[in-house]
Amino acid sequence: MEDVRSTFSRRDLLTVSGLAAGALATRRAAADVVVPASPVSVAKVVSYDLDLVAQFEQMFDQIGGIGHLVRGKTVAMKVNLAGASGRGRQVGLTAGQTSWVHPNVVGALTAVFAKQGARRIRILESTFRKKYGTPLEDTLLNDGWDVNGIKSAASIVEFEDTNGLGSAKQYSTLKVKAGQPFIFPAFSLNHSYEDCDFFVSVAKMKNHEELGVTLSMKNLFGITPELLYGLGPKPPGASQWVRERVFHYGQVQPPSGVPPELDPASNRYEGWRMPRLLTDICGARPIDLAILDGIEAIIGGEGSGMPGTRHGKPGLLVVGRNCVSTDAVAMATMGYNPRAGRHEAPFRLYKNPKDHPPEQLIPPGETHQYADNTALMGEAAGLGTADLSKIDLRGVPIKDAVYDYEAHWKGQAPV
Amino acid sequence: MLLSLCPVWAADSARWIPARWDGGPLELTRRAKDKALPADAREAIARWYEPATLSLLEETPINCLLLTFSIGAGAEAERQQHQLVKEYARLARERGIAVLGIVYPGADPEAVAAAAHEAQLDGLVLDGEFPAGYAGKLGTPALVIPITRDAASLRTSKAPLLAVEGVRPVARNLSDMGIRAGASAEPWIESNIWLVRSFRLGTEWRPVWVNQQPNPSSEGDYVRCVADAAIAGGRWMVAIDDALRAGLFRKDTGALATWRSIAAYLTFGEDHAEWRSFAPYGNLGIVLDAAGKNPDISDEYLNLVARRQVPYRLILRSELSAASLSSFQAVLAADLAPPTESERKILCDFAEKGGLVVAGPSWGDPPKDDPYAEVPLGKGRVAVYKEDPPNPESVAKDMLDLLEPEVMGLSVFNVSSAITYASTRDKSVLVQLLNYAGRPIDRVTVRFNGNFKTARLYTPENAPIDLSVRATGNGRTELLIPKLAAWGAVLLK
Repeated sequence: MEDVRSTFSRRDLLTVSGLAAGALATRRAAADVVVPASPVSVAKVVSYDLDLVAQFEQMFDQIGGIGHLVRGKTVAMKVNLAGASGRGRQVGLTAGQTSWVHPNVVGALTAVFAKQGARRIRILESTFRKKYGTPLEDTLLNDGWDVNGIKSAASIVEFEDTNGLGSAKQYSTLKVKAGQPFIFPAFSLNHSYEDCDFFVSVAKMKNHEELGVTLSMKNLFGITPELLYGLGPKPPGASQWVRERVFHYGQVQPPSGVPPELDPASNRYEGWRMPRLLTDICGARPIDLAILDGIEAIIGGEGSGMPGTRHGKPGLLVVGRNCVSTDAVAMATMGYNPRAGRHEAPFRLYKNPKDHPPEQLIPPGETHQYADNTALMGEAAGLGTADLSKIDLRGVPIKDAVYDYEAHWKGQAPV
Repeated sequence: MLLSLCPVWAADSARWIPARWDGGPLELTRRAKDKALPADAREAIARWYEPATLSLLEETPINCLLLTFSIGAGAEAERQQHQLVKEYARLARERGIAVLGIVYPGADPEAVAAAAHEAQLDGLVLDGEFPAGYAGKLGTPALVIPITRDAASLRTSKAPLLAVEGVRPVARNLSDMGIRAGASAEPWIESNIWLVRSFRLGTEWRPVWVNQQPNPSSEGDYVRCVADAAIAGGRWMVAIDDALRAGLFRKDTGALATWRSIAAYLTFGEDHAEWRSFAPYGNLGIVLDAAGKNPDISDEYLNLVARRQVPYRLILRSELSAASLSSFQAVLAADLAPPTESERKILCDFAEKGGLVVAGPSWGDPPKDDPYAEVPLGKGRVAVYKEDPPNPESVAKDMLDLLEPEVMGLSVFNVSSAITYASTRDKSVLVQLLNYAGRPIDRVTVRFNGNFKTARLYTPENAPIDLSVRATGNGRTELLIPKLAAWGAVLLK
C-alpha cells in the first residue's frame, strides 16, 4: 500500500472549504457522527481494451478483497446509463466513451464477481421510456454492448429494467437506515434492490449540470421507479419529467401508498434537495461497492446534450467499499476539492432559465446557482468520510492520477 | 432539337450518372464575388474544359456532365463559353458521355436554346429561381431539368427525371449547435434519404438527382454524399470542391485517391441497380397532403420519423382509402388538418379493426396538458396530439413508444450516427445503413419481422460477407453487423 495523503498539495483550501461545507450540514454536527472509513483504490487505465479483469482484481485486492462478500451471493450492479432513453451519443463515439459506463467495465466486473464465486449477477438500470417493457438488454444493444458476451461471463447473469415493477408483483419499500433522513424516510423500489446480497454502484466519472459531479451516490438516483412515482396527476405548470417534479423540485408528492416527504414545506430548491435526497437513497439502499469509470468520459455535464460538453480521456478507475469516501477520492482525481462548498467548483452552476422553473432561480432571474456537496451530505448523515486525510488511499497517488475536469471544461459553459 | 446526335443510350436519362463539371471563364465570372477562391482553384476552373480533364472520367461510371453554360453575362462572354462548351461536349460525346448545360437565373432563354442546339447538348439544367414559364421558352422537345428547392411541388410531378436541392449529409452534436438537450441526446443527422424516398409514390423507380455541393469536403464527406443519395434510389450530382478540383487538375495523389473513392461508391451503387426495384418497407403509413398548407411540416414528419429509424410508406391524401390502408398497422395522419368526414370514417374503421391512428388536435378532444393522449377505438386506438400542428420532432420520438417493435418491423440497434432504410422485393428484404460519423460503428444489431435463412452484407469497401442469422423466437430474425464504415446493405432472404 502506498500512502498518498501527504502528496495532495493542491487541496490547500481544504480547511476553508470544509468549514463552508460544514455549515451546510445543519441537522447533524459532524462531531456527533462516527463515519466509516475504508480503503479506496485509484488506477490509471488508458484504454478499455486493456485487461480490465486483472485491473479490477488488483484494485479489489487493494481494498481488502471482496471474495468473502460475494461468494455464493447475488450481486446486483446498478449501472449508470443516464436514463438511457436515447443513446447519449456524440458523433462517432459510443455512450460508453461519454456518459454511460463502458460495457467492457461491466463485462470485466461480471467476470471478476463470477471468479470470486458470486452465484448470480444482476445488471440493473431504470430507463426513461414512456412505455415499459423494452428489455434492458435491448437498451444496451443500442450502444453496441456485447450482451451475450457479458451473459457468458458468469453462469447466471440477469438484466432488469428497474423503472417499474419488472418481474415482481409489488414494489419493495426500503427505509432510510443511516441516521435520520433528510427528505424521504423511505423509497418504493423495484424488487431487485432488495433481492440482492451485495449491491454495487457502477458510475461514470463525470460532471453534472445540477449537482456538479455524477459519482456513485448520484448514480442511485436512477433506482427510483418513474412508473411508480409518476402515477399521480401532473399539476398544471409542473415539470413534464416525473423525477423532476417529484424529486428535483418537489412540485408533487409521490402517489398514494408510496412514502411521502417528511416535510412538504421544506426548501424546494433542487441544489438543496437533490444532495439530501441522494443521501437518503444511499441510506435506504446502501452501496456495498462503488466503482467509478473515468477511463473515458464526457466533461462538463452528465450527457452529450449539455452545451460545452466535450469528450475526454481521464484514464481513471476508482474503487472503494464506502461510497462517500470513494466519491471524495474521485472528486480529488477530477481536480476538485472533495470538501468544496456552495458556489465553489464544481458546485457553482449555471441554470438556463429556459430549462428551469422560475422559482429555481434565486433571487429571481439569477442564473448562477449552487448545489450542496453530495459527498459532504453523505458524511453528515454518517455514511462515510469525505475527508481525504482520513481515507486510506491505495494504488496510484492522486497527484499522479489527477485529470483536471474543470480545466478541460473551463470556458465552455456560460458560468 | 437538342437530342439529335446523341447515342441511343445517352438519350435514356434514367441511366445518366451525373457530375457537375462547372468550369470555364464564365464560371469564374459567376464566382467573381468569391474573394476566398484560391489561385490554384481559379486556374483549375478557368482551364477545366481542356480535353485532359475528360480523362478523369475513365474508370468511373460517370456518363453525364453538367457544364457551366449560361449565367446571363454579356453577349461576348456567353458566346465564348458556348464555343468552349461546344468543343468540350464534342469530345465528351466521343467518349459516350452525355452533356447538359447548366443555366443560371438571368440567362436569355432564346439565346440559351439556340446555343444549346448549336452545341448539340443533351439537355439543360436550371439551377436557381427562374420566372414562371422560363423552361417553356427554351424550346421543345429539349430536355430541361430544373433543380427544385421546393420538394413538395415536385412530388407529384410526372417528369421522368427529377432534380432536387438537398442538404449536406452530416452528423453533428446538439451541444456543438448550441442546443441544450438531455443526457441521452443523440447526434443531429442531416440526410437526403427521406427526401429521395419521398418521391417514390408509385411502384416504378425513376431517377432523382440530389444537388448539393459539400464545400469544403473530406473524402468521407464525398462518399457519404454518394451513398446518401443512392440508398433510396437517387443519384448525387457529383460536385467537387475547390481544393479537390485544384488537386485533380494538377493530378495530386491525394486528390486522385479521393476521386477514386467517389468512383468506387458510384460503381457500388450502379452495380446494385437492381435494389432500386425494391419497394419501400413499412407498416406505418404516413399520409401526405401534396397540396397541404404546411409542406415544411409535412416534410419534417418524413425526415424526422426516418431519423428515428422507423420504417414507413407514403400514402397520398388523394389516395387514402380502406384498401390503401389494408397493408398497414399504423397511420400518421397529422397532415389531415382537419380530416374530411370520409377520411375520418376510413381512419376510424382502420382503428376499430386494430390499427393505430396518430392525428392532430383537429381530430377532436385533444389533451389539455399532456403532449398527446391515446383513445381506445374498437380494437385499436387513436393518439391525438395537443399541439397544432403536432411537433414533428415530438411525433417522431413518440413513434418509438407508440409502435411496438413488431409493428415497426425493423429494429436497429447502435445507430445513433446512422440512418437505415428498408425495402422489399418478393421474399427478400434489403436493409441499408449509412454511417454519418467519421469513425466506423462497431456491433450494429438488426432485427426484422419474419424468418430468414441467409443474410449477406454488401459494402463498397469489401467483398460481400455472409452474416449469421438467429431466430429470436417471436417471429423475428436477428443479425449482427460487426463493423460499419459508411454504407452497408444487408440482403435477407
